[in-house]
Amino acid sequence: MIDPIFTIVSLVLIIPIALFLGVIYQYFFRKLSARFQWRVGPMLRMYGDLKPLLGTTRLLQPLYDILKLFGKKTVVPEVSRKKLFVSSPYLSLLFAILAVLFIPFPGMPLLSEAPYSLIIASYLLIASILFTILGPVASGSPWAAIGARREVELFLVSELGFVLSVFSVAIARQTLVIWEISKGEQTLYLALLSVTAGALMLAAMMGKLHIKPFDMPEAEAEIVAGPYTEYSGKLLGTYYLTKVFMLYALVGLFISVFLPPLASSILWLPLYIVAALLILFLLTAVQVLNPRYRIKNAINWYLKVLAILAVVNFVIAVYIWLVL
Amino acid sequence: MGIIDKARIYSPWLYHLHCGGCNGCDIETLAALAPRFDVERFGIQLVPSPRHADILLTTGCVPKQFIPMVKRIYEQVPDPKVVVAVGSCACGGSLFYDDAPENYAILGSPDLLIPVDVYVPGCAPKPEAIINGVVQGILKLAEKASKKE
Amino acid sequence: MSTEIKILKQVLSNYSKPMTLNYPSAVSPDRKYSQIPAGLRGIPERDNDKCIGCRACYFVCSGRATSIYDSDAKRKVEIFLFRCTFCAHCQEACPEEAIKMTDKFEIAVAKREDPSARVVTELDLLKCKICGTPYASKKFVDRAYERLMEKIDQKVKETVSSDFKKVDGYCPDCRRANGVGFDTHTKKHVWLEGA
Repeated sequence: MIDPIFTIVSLVLIIPIALFLGVIYQYFFRKLSARFQWRVGPMLRMYGDLKPLLGTTRLLQPLYDILKLFGKKTVVPEVSRKKLFVSSPYLSLLFAILAVLFIPFPGMPLLSEAPYSLIIASYLLIASILFTILGPVASGSPWAAIGARREVELFLVSELGFVLSVFSVAIARQTLVIWEISKGEQTLYLALLSVTAGALMLAAMMGKLHIKPFDMPEAEAEIVAGPYTEYSGKLLGTYYLTKVFMLYALVGLFISVFLPPLASSILWLPLYIVAALLILFLLTAVQVLNPRYRIKNAINWYLKVLAILAVVNFVIAVYIWLVL
Repeated sequence: MGIIDKARIYSPWLYHLHCGGCNGCDIETLAALAPRFDVERFGIQLVPSPRHADILLTTGCVPKQFIPMVKRIYEQVPDPKVVVAVGSCACGGSLFYDDAPENYAILGSPDLLIPVDVYVPGCAPKPEAIINGVVQGILKLAEKASKKE
Repeated sequence: MSTEIKILKQVLSNYSKPMTLNYPSAVSPDRKYSQIPAGLRGIPERDNDKCIGCRACYFVCSGRATSIYDSDAKRKVEIFLFRCTFCAHCQEACPEEAIKMTDKFEIAVAKREDPSARVVTELDLLKCKICGTPYASKKFVDRAYERLMEKIDQKVKETVSSDFKKVDGYCPDCRRANGVGFDTHTKKHVWLEGA
């Protein structure tokens, strides 16, 4: 057990780190998808003659977006349920930040040493998504309602994959503490499990982060802006901030659960970043290669993939648990 | 200049409002957002809802039936906001302009209804011209924000 | 499956070289600043020396962008770019080839009254000697005389020239009303000098 002062310091420290890394991840995502689409994307080095006006770099572009939204006027529609409408972005952000505290960062176990931390972390992630559904429903806009309905359906199927993949690893390793999973040694069978469960988790992440074939909840231009149609100013900025933390949390969880030693020691930090960028590369490739699915197709696809992968996954997990 | 004022210049979001007309300006506007003239280099993004926007980009002249919608969409954009009128129709009515008698169906430029900050004439303007107009709009946005505080 | 591999190849090849232009930035070592195709119709420009104020551009203008304002002794020929459709009809119609479409396109302005949104030429007007109303620009009359002299037969040049001088200085209405009389004795139309 590490001393409590270190834990408290690291708990305070992890929030800016998560924010920074989440912003970098989002920048990487945007830049990479722009390059795949034959364009430049947010510029890493601004043109020399435009520097005084437009800044030297746009590495923190997602953060600028959020800051700008915080500087704008917030419109609250008359027809909305004002309490729920206003409070749900903040609650969503709160749960996302709490989830970040339960996910280990190289050299910082944080709260992931706590018993049942895997269950707590996945519940906090679910709660965060729940409030991105509740707020839009309270806004009283038909577009938001359609978006929220799609979000619920997508969330249910992707959650299934998420839970199955994460808990198959928990079964194989006989623990529900994330820190212990992320410290555990790798064997051949566990590596095999990581591949199948990781594929399942990636599929679930696509649904949770609205990567292209599964971006029907936001479906830009089709249903205006989906759940976020009525949100503006600070409240929208809070949702964007939630997205940043969510991206960090999911990528962090992926690495600590499926690529075990990477999230355990500070020495692994460079590899941790490389692994995170690789995951984002995979997600971006999926994003640029796919058109948007209809919600029906998405559910069918999920169930098909889940049915095969989850069975394989569980056979391996149970085999490791019982035989090895 | 505070960090939020800087962020305002760094990430202006566009809402594209097509009032009426021949669609030529819309095609050029979309070309300005597409890979050839990629405006995401400067953080400019097309947003689907007027509530997210900083810059309202209007194209085409306003038919009389569309008057309430234009007003409503302008009011939905949260402050500080800037309106950029793209194309000759949106600037001065172009071919649809009539001194007297007044046109029975078409009102003309949207600046009769809402305050327009930047005009980009052209039929249709080049994507570069639209980017130029939007950049002027961004400068106005910063000006407006600093005035309010 | 083969089409998907094709798409994947395309996407990966896109990565290496973006096709974006450097547009608002002037420093562009590797990529072009902007793309101006040949024959782009940008802002029309009028040569103030060549323009004679003949109103040909005013008559052909389809968008009512060209307008002519006659004040006391000045004629203002103006293209209001906010209404201009850049169709180049005026360039085609101009007898003196004074109007040319340039390839300038950066015309975003903040105000309707901005001088850069208008292409203006000012000309001196001639006033009628009788009624005092301005009737044509000085350049227009001079140029008309010049053209007439260029094309006319050598034999009648003297007569026409003296006739032209006679009517010079009167507006069309006054010319009709006062200029010509009928001499009953010689049975001929005559010019009423100094009417």
